Amino acid sequence: MSRSAPKGLPWPPKDSPPARGFRGDGEGGTGKRIPRPGGVRRGDRARPPEAALLRTSGLVKVYRADGVSVEAVRGVDIEVAIGEFVAIMGPSGSGKSTLLHVLGGLEPATSGEIWLRGQRVDGLSTAGWAILRRRHVGFVFQFFNLLSNMTVADNVELPALLAGATARQARKRREELLAELGLADKAGAAPARLSGGEQQRVALARALANEPSLLLADEPTGNLDSSNTRDVLRLLRRAHDRGQAILMVTHDARVASLADRVINLFDGMVADDAAIVPGPRGVNGVRDVLELRG
Amino acid sequence: MRGTLRWARADLRARRGQALLTVGVIAGVVAALLIATMLLQGALNPWQQLFARTRGADVLIYFQNGTNTSELSSLPGVQAVGRPYQAASATLEQGPVKSPVQLRALTPVLPAMSAPLVVAGTWLRASQRDGAVLEASFAQAVHVGVGARILVDGIDGTTVWMQVIGIADTADQGFYPQWTPGLIWVQPGLLRQVEPNPSETQEVVGLRLDDSSAVATSQVVQTIWNLYNGPTENSAVERYSTWQQVQNSMASNDRLLGLLLALFGIIALLAAPCAIANVTAGRVLMQRQDIAMLKALGFTPGQVVRMLLAEQTALGAAGAALGLVAARIVTSSEFLRPPDGSPVGLAPLSGSWLALIGVGTVLTVALATVIPAWWAGTVSPIAAVQPSPPRGHLSLIARLGLLVHLPAALVLGARDCLTRRLPALLTVFGLAIPMVMITIALTCWSTIDGFTRDPARIGLAAAVTVSQGGLPSRQALALIGHDDQVLAYYPSAEFDTLLPGANGTFVARAMGYSWRPYPFQVVQGRMFHAANEAVAGQGFLDLMHIGVGAWISPTIDGVPVILHIVGRTLEPDNNGDVLDFGLDALRDAGSAPPQLMYSLVLKPGVSAAAARTQLLRASHDQLDVQLAANPASGLGVMQVVIAVSVIVLAVIALANLLTATAVGLRDHRHEVGVLKAMGLTPRQVMATLVVNATILTAIGVTSGILAGLVIAPRLINMQGQTSGIGSGIAAGLSALTIAEILAVALAIAAAASLFLARHTTWMADSAQLHSPTRPSRPRAHASSLRNP
Repeated sequence: MSRSAPKGLPWPPKDSPPARGFRGDGEGGTGKRIPRPGGVRRGDRARPPEAALLRTSGLVKVYRADGVSVEAVRGVDIEVAIGEFVAIMGPSGSGKSTLLHVLGGLEPATSGEIWLRGQRVDGLSTAGWAILRRRHVGFVFQFFNLLSNMTVADNVELPALLAGATARQARKRREELLAELGLADKAGAAPARLSGGEQQRVALARALANEPSLLLADEPTGNLDSSNTRDVLRLLRRAHDRGQAILMVTHDARVASLADRVINLFDGMVADDAAIVPGPRGVNGVRDVLELRG
Repeated sequence: MRGTLRWARADLRARRGQALLTVGVIAGVVAALLIATMLLQGALNPWQQLFARTRGADVLIYFQNGTNTSELSSLPGVQAVGRPYQAASATLEQGPVKSPVQLRALTPVLPAMSAPLVVAGTWLRASQRDGAVLEASFAQAVHVGVGARILVDGIDGTTVWMQVIGIADTADQGFYPQWTPGLIWVQPGLLRQVEPNPSETQEVVGLRLDDSSAVATSQVVQTIWNLYNGPTENSAVERYSTWQQVQNSMASNDRLLGLLLALFGIIALLAAPCAIANVTAGRVLMQRQDIAMLKALGFTPGQVVRMLLAEQTALGAAGAALGLVAARIVTSSEFLRPPDGSPVGLAPLSGSWLALIGVGTVLTVALATVIPAWWAGTVSPIAAVQPSPPRGHLSLIARLGLLVHLPAALVLGARDCLTRRLPALLTVFGLAIPMVMITIALTCWSTIDGFTRDPARIGLAAAVTVSQGGLPSRQALALIGHDDQVLAYYPSAEFDTLLPGANGTFVARAMGYSWRPYPFQVVQGRMFHAANEAVAGQGFLDLMHIGVGAWISPTIDGVPVILHIVGRTLEPDNNGDVLDFGLDALRDAGSAPPQLMYSLVLKPGVSAAAARTQLLRASHDQLDVQLAANPASGLGVMQVVIAVSVIVLAVIALANLLTATAVGLRDHRHEVGVLKAMGLTPRQVMATLVVNATILTAIGVTSGILAGLVIAPRLINMQGQTSGIGSGIAAGLSALTIAEILAVALAIAAAASLFLARHTTWMADSAQLHSPTRPSRPRAHASSLRNP
């Protein structure tokens, strides 16, 4: 009935991205590994030379309502490499969230191209996008958006089941993820019983359940207090360290400084796209500004 | 698939109440549909149930007395042979009226095959040798009840008094008077008193066959016939009857009943999907966020649609199964017998019928779910991210209302109806459709009720018909004229007449005179006022393919009569194939004075039975007094069906109301806190919610009743027309009834919403306000984040 993987297909999918789980050290992934010798600072890493994981060109999103059209995204060209952590910043209304939704196929683009893992995906149907999301795109939202009907365990297992995992595989994966996130004892709880931070950690586990190539996070800490923010960011970091590509929208410069690169949007256009490179003083990176203030 | 299942399981667990409501509503509809079908099938064909309950014989053979019947059991195809019993012909004498009867000699111990089913009094008792048990339809036709003493004449003139100790049903033969003779069961001793000559009695043997199909039955009968009525022997088999003959004779050809069955089926077929669609749409509305999230997680639109379809269909199947069981339990106990006495069985439905209703229900559920499911499939995944901002604004009217100090709850409650249009529409439609059905059902009821309470309305002004019987006509007329219970009487004569130029017959009736016609109910045109004018029933007009205003020249009683049809009457007799005119029309045409009968219109409040008793007493049982048959008497079962359907429809409406209110309240949960913060007291908040629900209910119920009032008379008149009685039979609902329905509906709606609103206000008290405020920014330094 469902369009899940046909019987006999291995799970996790063989063509899954190089990203590895919280625990795994890359055994599951067949993709090219990013050389990451121990002790090397993040900033030292060069952009991976291979084809980009995600690439857009001339991406435009126009909302039309009551005869008025609003251009939320106006010709965005960005590229995210495999395993890269990119933060998108910008003032309210600059089109950050819209861009993220379009990149995840939650909304269709008005024009422009989206390439994901070397395939052009902007022309996909709603169903096509849905199937793509199952395996290759994970979402984390500001308001967690856990399925209220389902227990924490079911919430985390659902994406794996959807992607064709057996119940046993899904359970095993869920147990790993929740243990990693310190939520093993909450598996049977209803999402409404959890605190905001716990809910966001569950949402993160759900997004990472299928080891997606790309994790899209829309203000993941926007609704959390400082200690929960720290927890969630630590988890994102850890995922990234294991090779997970992340595209995160945030308002918060300190949160953004965690990324390899920060893209600034202004009025739906890329105003600034800079890698955060620790270097000599005087380079105008956001992180340096933060460090100066700190 | 696994993901879908996981979601469906979690969903059912989380919304147990709603799922149970759906199952309950479907079970109710299915049970009602089954019971109604069983009742109506039983009414249309009571034989099946009677046959089962009396363990009837497939074939009854009437042998000459003394025939050796032992060979029967060894015949091929014969499964069992019943105990032979004696039968004798006789006559029941009631004053001048003599009815042919057959006495059957049975013992106080009921036989294993063809045991009469006692419905009143007791079966034969050894202690009461003159006791007799009458077949029910015969007892009704001759107006004899338990405790009466009857006089039975044998063929040779022996007369024997018997005491009626019981009334029983049997599947051995059709109903009296269509099937004669009337059956009376007595003990063998009493039979010998009436018919002492054994050669005048018959021996009746019942057979059960291995294969009771029509072909097999006729083969067995043929074998027996050949065996006993061979060319050399006397004809030992005098006659026989098969179950097929009995079944056919019992089958009612009441078209009106059949049509009402169809109407009921349509009501159920429309109401059930409406309820299910409403419940499903309500679910989609309530789960919009979750559905959006599922799509963001990777559910395709098709998967969402299939998931909802599968879930609802499963609930539908569960409901259908439950309804089946419920109907079984309800109908297993009693053999229904409406007050009019005609046996109405709850005929057990055949497997194909059950399958039809079961599969039909599940399909209906699936079909009703398609639109809401498709709608769920189109929910944008963005809804998961952005809760849709509230629409609508405080309109001018609302502002004015607040300005003139209308209660805030009233203004805000009324405003909600306009701003939340989709839930409002769901509520209104969810209530309006069952209300249309309820109005139709109640109008049917009121029409049937009108038949019984005011028979003159359907052209049955005369409750009693008298023929002079053994009296000279002048004396009969004097007796009628002096009866203080009689309001008016009309001389009449009736002729079965050939249709001019066509095959078939109709009834030509001369009733009253053109200057004093019988009070027909003329619904089109006018009454006849001249000797060459006539009125006719719808059936007759249809048969002749003519309308009011036509001229016809039928040959009545051998004399051609030219008549101008000036009006159409409501005509319950003879499927409406009736032509009515004055006696003077016949006289003018030159036909001989016919044998007259008298149709008696009784004074208000006088029962037909009482009038009959008084006339019989006054004439010393010399007059022949017959009660007019009312078509509504056969519709008694319809009232049971209508009552059941109204209850089910009310439950459906309530389910819809609860769903819609729950959806509305869920939307309100966040607002309740805001309203409170604005300074509304909890009571005012509750009042807002109740006002909202009550206004929507009022709109839904009123529009439903109005639509029903428009549709119902048309439907019923259409049925009247098809059944030959003619359109114009529908009796509308009184203003009082309508007001009562409205008041009850509003009271229930207010109570239901009050209950739910209390719950919601209480919940909102304990829950935090869910507002997307931005929490304080994390204060930690970036450096500390970098190195956890």
